[in-house]
Amino acid sequence: MNRLCDSMEPRVMDDDMLKLAVGEQGPQEEAGQLAKQEGILFKDVLSLQLDFRNILRIDNLWQFENLRKLQLDNNIIEKIEGLENLTHLVWLDLSFNNIETIEGLDTLVNLEDLSLFNNRISKIDSLDALVKLQVLSLGNNQIDNMMNIVYLRRFKCLRTLSLSGNPISEAEDYKMFICAYLPDLVYLDFRRIDDHTKELAEAKHQYSIDELKHQENLMQVRLQDERARQEELEKHKTAFVEHLNGSFLFDSMYAEDSEGNKLSYLPGVSELLEAYKDKFVIICVNIFEYGLKQQEKRKIELDTFSECVHEAIQENQEQGKRKIAQFEEKHLSSLSAIREESELPNIEKMILECSADVSELFNELMMLEMQLVEQLEETINMFERNIVDMVGLFIENVQSLMAQCRDLENHHHEKLLEISISTLEKIVKGDLDEDLPDDLRALFVDKDTIVNAVGASHDIHLLKIDNREDELVTRINSWCTRLVDKIHKDEIMRNRKRVKEINQYIDHMQSELDNLEYSDILD
Amino acid sequence: MEVLREKVEEEEEAEREEAAERAEWARTEKMMRPVEVRKEETTLTQEMLRDLEKKLSEIQIPISAELPAFTKDTIDISKLPVSYKTNTPKEEHLLQVADNFSRQYSHLCPDRVPLFLHPLNECEVPKFVSTTLRPTLMPYPELYNWDSCAQFVSDFLTMVPLPDPLKPPSHLYSSTTVLNYQKGNCFDFSTLLCSMLIGSGYDAYCVNGYGSLDLCHMDLTREVCPLTVKPKETVQKEEKVLPKKYTVRPPRDLCSRFEQEQEVKKQQEIRAQEKKQLREEEERLMEAEKAKPDALHGLRVHSWVLVLSGKREVPENFFIDAFTGHSYSTQDERFLGIESLWNHKNYWINMQDCWNCCKDLIFDLGDPVRWEYMLLGTDKSQLSLTEEDDSGINDEDDVENLGKEDEDKSFDMPHSWVEQIEISPEAFETRCPNGKKVIQYKRAKLEKWAPYLNSNGLVSRLTTYKDLECTNILEIKEWYQNREDMLELKHINKTTDLKIDYFKPGHPHALRVHSYKSMQPEMDRVIEFYETARVDGLIKREETASTMTEYYQGRPDFLSYRHANFRPRVKKLALSSAESNPRPIVKITEQFFRNPEKPAEEDVAERVFLLAEERIQLRYHCRDDHITASKREFLRRTEVDSKGNRIIMTPDMCISFEVEPMEHTKKLLYQYEAMMHLKREEKLSRHQVWESELEVLEILKLREEEEAAHTLTISIYDTKRNEKSKEYREAMERVMHEEHLRQVETQLDYLAPFLAQLPPGEKLTRWQAVRLKDECLSDFKQRLINKANLIQARFEKETQELQKKQQWYQENQVTLTPEDEDLYLSYCSQAMFRIRILEQRLNRHKELAPLKYLALEEKLYKDPRLGELQKIFA
Repeated sequence: MNRLCDSMEPRVMDDDMLKLAVGEQGPQEEAGQLAKQEGILFKDVLSLQLDFRNILRIDNLWQFENLRKLQLDNNIIEKIEGLENLTHLVWLDLSFNNIETIEGLDTLVNLEDLSLFNNRISKIDSLDALVKLQVLSLGNNQIDNMMNIVYLRRFKCLRTLSLSGNPISEAEDYKMFICAYLPDLVYLDFRRIDDHTKELAEAKHQYSIDELKHQENLMQVRLQDERARQEELEKHKTAFVEHLNGSFLFDSMYAEDSEGNKLSYLPGVSELLEAYKDKFVIICVNIFEYGLKQQEKRKIELDTFSECVHEAIQENQEQGKRKIAQFEEKHLSSLSAIREESELPNIEKMILECSADVSELFNELMMLEMQLVEQLEETINMFERNIVDMVGLFIENVQSLMAQCRDLENHHHEKLLEISISTLEKIVKGDLDEDLPDDLRALFVDKDTIVNAVGASHDIHLLKIDNREDELVTRINSWCTRLVDKIHKDEIMRNRKRVKEINQYIDHMQSELDNLEYSDILD
Repeated sequence: MEVLREKVEEEEEAEREEAAERAEWARTEKMMRPVEVRKEETTLTQEMLRDLEKKLSEIQIPISAELPAFTKDTIDISKLPVSYKTNTPKEEHLLQVADNFSRQYSHLCPDRVPLFLHPLNECEVPKFVSTTLRPTLMPYPELYNWDSCAQFVSDFLTMVPLPDPLKPPSHLYSSTTVLNYQKGNCFDFSTLLCSMLIGSGYDAYCVNGYGSLDLCHMDLTREVCPLTVKPKETVQKEEKVLPKKYTVRPPRDLCSRFEQEQEVKKQQEIRAQEKKQLREEEERLMEAEKAKPDALHGLRVHSWVLVLSGKREVPENFFIDAFTGHSYSTQDERFLGIESLWNHKNYWINMQDCWNCCKDLIFDLGDPVRWEYMLLGTDKSQLSLTEEDDSGINDEDDVENLGKEDEDKSFDMPHSWVEQIEISPEAFETRCPNGKKVIQYKRAKLEKWAPYLNSNGLVSRLTTYKDLECTNILEIKEWYQNREDMLELKHINKTTDLKIDYFKPGHPHALRVHSYKSMQPEMDRVIEFYETARVDGLIKREETASTMTEYYQGRPDFLSYRHANFRPRVKKLALSSAESNPRPIVKITEQFFRNPEKPAEEDVAERVFLLAEERIQLRYHCRDDHITASKREFLRRTEVDSKGNRIIMTPDMCISFEVEPMEHTKKLLYQYEAMMHLKREEKLSRHQVWESELEVLEILKLREEEEAAHTLTISIYDTKRNEKSKEYREAMERVMHEEHLRQVETQLDYLAPFLAQLPPGEKLTRWQAVRLKDECLSDFKQRLINKANLIQARFEKETQELQKKQQWYQENQVTLTPEDEDLYLSYCSQAMFRIRILEQRLNRHKELAPLKYLALEEKLYKDPRLGELQKIFA
């Protein structure tokens, strides 16, 4: 059909066209009159139909933020574009166009029904974002590879698929293949798949499917493992002691330390190193466990704090609600009394009373709020003190443990130096009975060189330890300050919001009263 | 040595007895004292003495002679088994042992009453009390626990007082007889109950002792009815929440503490005053209710059941009074003393002092100092080994053994002489004698009936009175069973006239509770429903003269409450009944639960349709962190503007307050659509209210019908009452019977009448056999012909009659009334039917007759008695 339109002039999707379409498809009759009177904002439109309009390029749709259903069928569109903003779209019809590749749909995560019937598509692709896809229509296209079907396996909700009129539908195995690879499919090419066909298909393609499934499962398991590990690490990170539950720090100390590695070949050093490593790792694990424990403690502290704050706010809200409910009851009765009253002076008096009530309510609510602010401030300060103390204690303990590491390192350094010097002496004397690697032997030229080498190794180690310690301390400190800041900010926001709410309510009440006055005076 | 020891013991015992007696005397003295005091104070004149004498003579020992005594001559002993009438040698031996024991006992304790060991049974045969117990486990699961057992015994038997209230009875009948006659004294009651309890595994004992007057006469008028006692409200201990670390400090209290204290003090004073008044009132009431002192206090013989802890997870020893079926603690002051107790294995005498009722008794039956046992070696498990060391006990055992005069150590109680206790299912269901029982409590009367006895299913009725004399009814509670309308309990409050019906699940309208004052519609009433059984989730509907309130739960539209106000009905000129003229509705208020799927500012919490003012008010739910909720009010006004166009929607038709103002809600279009929606909803709600009214009418109508019909349901397993199954069963039986008859017929001996002609016992000769056969066959042929003739004759008669009738009809056709014509027609059709049947029978007979003849011939050939025939042909 679109071939017929080729002769016609392509049209541009401009504002007028959209307005016209919206106006035509909007509410009718009385509501339509109102709509015309007011005009309809594009962002309020839920459904839009733009078919048979010779549109070449999708454009100007960014305002339709809340659009649920879009029909662009029977145009001459060549490229899917300009739909990025329509994230609420559920139903998209692009059939009878000239589209060649599937693209530009990555933001439409809510899409459930997609029709690309009668286009020039040759490959099913770029649909990964459409996790909710239920209906996919791809008939009358140029898909010629069966492997496109395997791609569709990732859509768990897909129930309806049409692929007739494609080169692949000519294949004799077409139906069986699809049924086997997409077992959850219910309708294929507008027909219900019966159970018998499903069984047959399953039997036919069992081996390949099983293999596929196996691979998918493996992938799944790997993903899960990865995720679990990531989570574990994340947990450790929140405790600021990641990678301390093993020899990671120790290994990193020696990773960049060429001299140290060389020196480990000295006689007696490897045993020394072994012992050193053991001790070091024990301390690291201590830090790690202590860190987790402290993290737990901080979490409990934070939980109790937020719970208590929440309770306090809830209670305060309840009080406020009660006050408002009381007020409203009274207010309603007095309003109706005013309406029934006919004497003007009386009315005025009553209105005055009412406004006095309103301002009293305002005072009460504000007082409640002020009270809450005071209470919370006190609590927050207390929490802040405690959490800062905790963090301080944690840092202190970690530092002392790190100092132990450093002591170990110093000790090790001394030992190493001793061994090195004695080895040097031996070499000088020439009574070294063991073979040393060449690069190690190169260090034993004179005393300065060997001392420097050992010293450099020592420096690197110390630097690593210091870095780790610094990292921990800075991170926990920044966490702490951020937490406290956030609590303060949240409280301020809460307060602002409540005050605004109260003011709004009181303003409304007051304006209602004023309106009443007006109307009475007019009457 | 043992004798000596026993003597010493007995002496001690006697001393203790004396002490007890002294105490007893002191008590009676105390009771008498007021009189004596007065006596001492005033000088005794003759008149006074005479007066006293008169008074004393007026005092009568209440012997209830007017009650029908359960005497021997009413019992038919002829059908009782042998064990009732005679004693086995073992029983004789036991009786001798008992006599010996009794002699020793009376010798050693001369001041104690003789033991209740072997009363006579219904056949005037002495039987030892332990053998009268027949432990039986009843086949009814309801009778497995002690409380239901006791209740059953108390319901099932009618109480007969002891012939002499101061002595144990001379007769103790078997439980089977007692069950047969449904009457008994306290000993019969406790024997039966004890048998049942031991049978179901309790450690139970029959007790012979002394009880209070009320206890002995089964007088419950001073007891509060257990059904009226409200279950004690379990005071939920408020968990003291520990103040959490960061709990905010409460705002400063600015009230004066001094003033508060003063206030509290004042309140306390007032309360104390009230309490005092209340207490005084109570005391006064108690005084009024207190029993008159009983002259025979402490001497009245009673029998009850003791259940010891240990078996069947009984945590504590307790008494059961078999008359009432109530349980009492062993400390209860109504039980004044224990003489002896026994179970099916042994007999124990109480050697402890009962001066302080039974409060100080220790029920350690293994302790020979406290409990003297009669038979050795049967129940030693009771002995608590903690008190004395083992060797001591062994010594004692040996010693006791010597003292028992060569008593066989392994002598145990003979088997019970009583037949198996059986309660038929009918008797079990009927429970009370004649299925009816009335118990008088303090300020209450309880009546019980067997199920299905009353046609309206009433099973018990509790009437509560205001006063002790039971004249002024306070309220009535009636329990029903097996009603088709599932009515369970009817509660009528006489002071407020409020009636409350309670229903079990299963009423067609899912009724649960219906409280009302009158059955007229549009009156005060509350109907509660089983909301899970209703599609609309209605829980409760309250009605007053001008309002109707409904409460809902679990609806998909989250409606929780609907309240409608009505205006009095406008009198219509047109003729219309109440149903077609519903009351005009003024206002409908609906409230909704929070719908978690909608944001709070779009989720309506309450909507009010003011139908009279054409106004709709909406109140939305409050957001979690807000204290104000959005509101909207629509005024439905249809006006015409200056140009004559209808105004569809103007901004002043919708007044709204929004917590978070949003753009799209300000639009007229949005408001217009909302209003249209609300208009539709209003119509629906109005419709709903009317539907509800109609439903109430329907319910009331149904209730009235049900009350009038009060049909009872009968379980399909109830073979006796279920008419349908009975009919079916009877039909089945009939079929079986017919089948049986047919079988008998087939076995009918054709030859018998002919054989009878010949001398019996002789073998038939061939000639005789042939003759016999021919006779038989010719006889049968004749019978067949006769039968055919008979049918033919009947057929002809019917045909003739019909023809006659037809002729008559032809002649009189003109003059016939329609009724006659009908009669004629029906006659014709019936006659035709008969003729047709006869014709069929005749044809069938013609067909079958030769076959039957051949069959008989065949049969005769095969008959062994006519074997001669076969021989020839063989």
